[in-house]
Amino acid sequence: MSDRLLKYLLLLPAILIVVLTTVYPLAFSLITSFRDWDLTRNLEPTGFVGFENYVYALTEDYDFYDAVRVTVWFVVLDVAATVLIALGLAVILRRNGTLHRATRVLLILPFAMSPALIGISWRFMFNPEVGVFTYVLGVLFPWLRGQAWLADPTLAMAAMVSCDVWHWMPYMTLVLLGGLASLPRDSEEAARIDGASEWRVFLDVTLPQLRPVIAVVTILKTVFALKMFDQVVTLTGGGPGNRTATLAYLVYRVAFSAFDMGAASALAWILTAVLIALGAYYMRFLIVKAH
Amino acid sequence: MAEIVLSGVTKRFGDFVAVHTLDLAVVDREFLVLLGPSGCGKTTTMRMIAGLEEPSAGEIRIGGRVVNDLPPRARDVAMVFQNYGLYPHMSVADNIGYPLKLRGVPREERAAQVRAVAAKVRLDGLLERKPAALSGGQRQRVGLARALIRKPTVFLMDEPLSNLDAKLRVEMRAELKHLHHELAVTTVYVTHDQIEAMTLATRVAVMNKGIIHQLGTPDEIYNEPADLFVAGFIGSPAMNLIDGRIDDGTFVAGRLRIDGLGRSTRESVVLGIRPEDMTIGPAGSGHGDLPVYSSELTGDSTLITLADGNTRIAVRADKTVRPAIDDVVALRIDPRRCYLFDAATTRRLAI
Repeated sequence: MSDRLLKYLLLLPAILIVVLTTVYPLAFSLITSFRDWDLTRNLEPTGFVGFENYVYALTEDYDFYDAVRVTVWFVVLDVAATVLIALGLAVILRRNGTLHRATRVLLILPFAMSPALIGISWRFMFNPEVGVFTYVLGVLFPWLRGQAWLADPTLAMAAMVSCDVWHWMPYMTLVLLGGLASLPRDSEEAARIDGASEWRVFLDVTLPQLRPVIAVVTILKTVFALKMFDQVVTLTGGGPGNRTATLAYLVYRVAFSAFDMGAASALAWILTAVLIALGAYYMRFLIVKAH
Repeated sequence: MAEIVLSGVTKRFGDFVAVHTLDLAVVDREFLVLLGPSGCGKTTTMRMIAGLEEPSAGEIRIGGRVVNDLPPRARDVAMVFQNYGLYPHMSVADNIGYPLKLRGVPREERAAQVRAVAAKVRLDGLLERKPAALSGGQRQRVGLARALIRKPTVFLMDEPLSNLDAKLRVEMRAELKHLHHELAVTTVYVTHDQIEAMTLATRVAVMNKGIIHQLGTPDEIYNEPADLFVAGFIGSPAMNLIDGRIDDGTFVAGRLRIDGLGRSTRESVVLGIRPEDMTIGPAGSGHGDLPVYSSELTGDSTLITLADGNTRIAVRADKTVRPAIDDVVALRIDPRRCYLFDAATTRRLAI
């Protein structure tokens, strides 16, 4: 057998797995998004309807715009809070004391938990009668005493954002710590001697050099936040009303509550298009940085 | 006007003592070189003066003011780093002008000063570049310009030439010497290179394992080494240090007999003699006959290594002297150029 042939033969299993698990479902859902498929009547997609599913989502389905609004709010708040807190923590934990090292190890724990489990446990902690969060926040801020957090649109969003920040911030802190560790120390020392306060050293010297790492963390977190699903199901159930129903959650509801697979596929592809664009930007960014 | 006074300064990193109760007074306007092998505490000492490390004990004064509790920015010192310490995301002009920007100097005045100081260190024409687009020598000039523009009371230089190639190093050395002459600012300079120390220093502090072994002019540390460490560290090739004893003014070691070293008698001494203070002659005509272990022509002289048992003795002879390996030759020593050290205390003995 020629080397040329063997080369492709060895790649075949991997290609097969990717095609069966990723390419085929993607292609199937893309085609489905142009077809009519009511799962309560048919086990197979039926006739082609062109862009009807997309047109419906963009013009008729008001849930879509609500979901877009919720998703955008969630992404902006979630990404900003995660990156800013992670950056602050990374700067604090950068020093090499015993306590700093121990904290760095403990940091990985929230990230080791399943997102669905986090949502369920946070739901309990926000319970108006027995929840520990409700109690502690009620003591700290008396006007929040006995507040049913998940019943208030703003507070439910805040709960969902804090839950996801808690989950992701440690991991992002570790990534930023790695970035900080790779910076040469002497440019910061030079700035200190040149007359800069610690704040100016951070602003003028540390932050600009850390920008590529911050960009990577921001893009990645944006992608993860855009497809937020687990905590919507387990923490808020999309409520109150649909005020915390993200796009990914809407897709799920249209597909498995309304059983309109065509519309669900169209909605999913709108989200996928955004994710692919961000992913492409991320890859290009990494490749440009690598050169 | 700034003298630097360190009194009883100690720096510990955990159990490791990097600097051990150091006393040092740097005179106003002098060029003081901290010289020693790596890990001797010289860089730590400088970093404590800069405020980048906190002393574990002791007091540091700059210009009469105790600076122990002052952050680096309040000490009015400028520093040049071994790895340049430039701001990679700023242009050369912004790098040089950064200290002025922090002091609120208006943009136009800043630009004028940057141009002036850049011309002084021959960086004109490179002001818009980023540090990554510069050679090592150019980067170090940027570091130097950034220090110069401050007009500080003290210059600190941490092995500024060690990342440059040999030719550039000699060139920059001359520039530093000239700059110090022109500006007359108190300078502390850290190096492990004794040639830099000898050529640049007003005074040299020779350090090892956290203590100063000798503080003196280059002439003093070369010609009157205080102890075995200084004797062995200064000079290239290194001074020969030969274990032996003194018998009524005659040094005895292996096949060597050197008389004319006073009148004393003493067990366990070390004789120090520089390679250039000896020569060789026909067997029987000197202080001992020894076989040639190796013979290397260096261009301006011949470096001959002789063997006396397990002791190797290096001799710098005239370039016309070309003995073959295993030839037996006489070692001729000028007793007036010999040093004697106490083997136990390592201190130099009077002859």
